[in-house]
Order: sequence, then structure tokens, then C-alpha cells
Amino acid sequence: MTLLPILLALDVEGDRKLVERLQRRDPQALAELYERYGRLVYSLILRMVRDTGVAEDLVQETFLRVWNRAQSLDAEKGSVGAWLVAVARNRAIDYQRSTTGRARNTLELETAEHPALFSDMEKDLLASDKARRVKAAMEKLSANQRQVIELAYFEGLSQTEMADRMGQPLGTVKTWVRAALKVLRHELGAAVPA
Amino acid sequence: MNCDQLREHYELYAIGLAEDPERSEIREHLDRGCEVCMAELKLARELASILGATAPLAEPSAKLRRRILASAGVEPRRLGWWAPFWAVAAICAIFAAAFFNSREKDLGRELARAQEQVRGQTIELTRLNEAFAILSGPDTTEASFGGAQPQPPKGKVFVNPTQGVLLMASNLPPARTGKIYEMWIIPKKGMPMPAGLFQSAMEGTALYVRRGAVDLNATGAVAVTLENAGGAPQPTSTPIIVAAIPSRG
Repeated sequence: MTLLPILLALDVEGDRKLVERLQRRDPQALAELYERYGRLVYSLILRMVRDTGVAEDLVQETFLRVWNRAQSLDAEKGSVGAWLVAVARNRAIDYQRSTTGRARNTLELETAEHPALFSDMEKDLLASDKARRVKAAMEKLSANQRQVIELAYFEGLSQTEMADRMGQPLGTVKTWVRAALKVLRHELGAAVPA
Repeated sequence: MNCDQLREHYELYAIGLAEDPERSEIREHLDRGCEVCMAELKLARELASILGATAPLAEPSAKLRRRILASAGVEPRRLGWWAPFWAVAAICAIFAAAFFNSREKDLGRELARAQEQVRGQTIELTRLNEAFAILSGPDTTEASFGGAQPQPPKGKVFVNPTQGVLLMASNLPPARTGKIYEMWIIPKKGMPMPAGLFQSAMEGTALYVRRGAVDLNATGAVAVTLENAGGAPQPTSTPIIVAAIPSRG
């Protein structure tokens, strides 16, 4: 995984001003938001839906949602990048569920991407020391631990579904998930804020 | 359960893996404003956000940016087929002006304006190309709407099983501030599926393309509702456009 280009692309200082301009409905701000986060959002959604056409549609929806709801984000303390990631993931999960016949809980998705939830986060979260540490820790997980995190995060599978997919007992899968999250949580907590 | 017992479940909750009874317990703590749970969940949400940035890098097509700006109503231009020629002419004119005018400031402004013009034309051309691909598809199905209404909108919907849906409407006034139009693909069985947000032009026309495969045999209708800005996961108002898709075969 090459993360450096993404980190370099995130103009940390500019995020606050960018959110303020989005809130003023400055059309150029939407273009800049896309320049800054478009590749990251597209990469995430494509990893989840594995279809370039669908991914582009969902990226479009993601940016439109953020464009139309920017008023609710705290420009001083909010992380527009973290919010975009949440909206993007929810769009992709909703799509995955609609195509696989799994139950769609749209209310839960709506709640999970409310801008207020990202208003107490570092505005430069995705480029922070925390992020670098967590990403490095992700690389160090065992293959099984990394697989369950990826199945859960990118494919939206429950622990039971993961057990079926991997042909492993549910208890084993739960153990891998907890161990992986414990490692990642430790790195997140241990990181020195950038 | 107390907060300590929930400690190992915040990350599971944040990435959608929590199960009952812990999931319900966390919700209950959050609903009553439990500060411990709110702080823990903030960290868990941060972790979830960072995980999103670990996807392998991929490059979107160059036209995606133009689609996004166009669908947000940014740089909406209505241009004819001759638009590219005007663009070339505009750029030539600017370079000619630059040749005779040494003022760099003026040149910069002119160039910016020309670039803006070219960008707007390119957005429009991209959208028209997508629309044309649907219109010209041999297996495209067509449906009209609004014909019997005294107060339109009126128009047509074209559905192609591989290319997507094209909606063309007239007499559709721009959605007022804080509102937006949302298109829905309504299956014969099941809930409406959101098919994107769009805004109409000042003159009340709309041309909206939703790319992606559509199962024509399972689709009963295409509809449009007026929703709050940002759209809705399910329709929250009576559809203002309903185009029934004719059964095949």
C-alpha cells in the first residue's frame, strides 16, 4: 500500500478555509475539495464495489452530499476528510447491500455520517501522526487479522458472514477481529497528535 | 452494562460489527449523553476514518471531476455542437490579444476566463456524450411522463440495461434553496433505490444521466422526488415524476 501520495495530497492548512468556502457555496471550493480528496474517495469506493462505473457514480453522490451538507460541519474543529470517508463508505455499503440482497439499514447509515460526528475531530486527521501510526500498524497485522478487518471495513461483512466466507469457526474470527482492533486502537491512542 | 464492559466494543460499533446486546447498550449510553462512551466512540470513529485511507490507490477517470461539478450545478453551460470551435476561437483570440498586449495581469484574467469557458463546455459535452450513448443503445427502453398532467413536468426517461438511465424533463423549476431533486429506480419488488441527485436549469429543463447497469426486467418505474439538500435514503415526498417502464417481451 502506497500511502505517501495521499498524505502529500492533503493540504492540511487549507482544510479549514476550504470548509468555510464550501459553506459559502463557493463553486471553486467543490472543485478544490475534489482535487484534494477525489482520489482517496474513489480508491476507497472502488476497493469496496470493484466496478469503476459504479464507483464513479458513488463518488459523485458522495461529493454532492458533502457539498449540500457542508453547513453542518464545524470549520474550526471538524475533519472534512474524515467526514468524506464516512459518507463514501456508507454509499458503498448501501450499494453492496442493495446488490446482494442484504438488509439495508439506511437510518443507521444516515446517523453514522452526520457532520456533527466529525466536528470534534482533528481537521487534519488523515494526514496526522495518528493516521501514519495506524496505517503502519495495519501492515504489521497477521494475514488473518488484516483479512478480517478488510472484510469488515471494505466489504461490510458481519462476523458470522466472515466466518462463512473464510471457513473458520465464528469464535476464531471474533478473536482475530478483537486482536486486530486492539493493536490498531493502541497505535491510535499512543500516537502523539500532529 | 457499564462503560468498562463496553470498552472492547466501540471499534466494532464504529465499523458496523457490533452485535446485540452491546450495540444496543452503546446506543443507549450515547442517547443519554454518556461522556465516556462519546469520547471512546470519537476515537473509534477516527480509527474507522483512517482505515478508509488504506485502500490501494486508484485513479478516477478524468471526466469524473467534470461530472461532479456539473451535477452540483457548478459551471452550468448550455452550449451547441459548435462549442469546441468557439472554445478554440476564444483561446486563439486571447493569444492574439496577448501578442499585442504586454500587460500580464490582463492576460492572466483573459486566460482564466477562457479556461473556465473551455471547462464548462467540456462538462456539457461529456454529459451529452453519456446521454447519447443511452439514446443510441439498441436495447434502450423509453417511457414518457407527465403527458396527462395540466401542470407538468413532462418528459421522457430512457433506460439502457448496460449504460444507465437518462432523464429529460421540461417545466421542472429549479429546486428551491435547501432542496434538490432525487431520482429513484423503483423495482417491481422491493424498496426504491436512490439513483442520484440533480438540479434543473433556470429555464426549467433537466438532463440527468445516471450511469450503471439496470435490470430492466426487475424495474417497474423511474421516479423523481423533491428532497432536502443532500438527498434521502428513501423517498420522503410524493413523486413529482413517475415514468412506468414497459415490460419487455
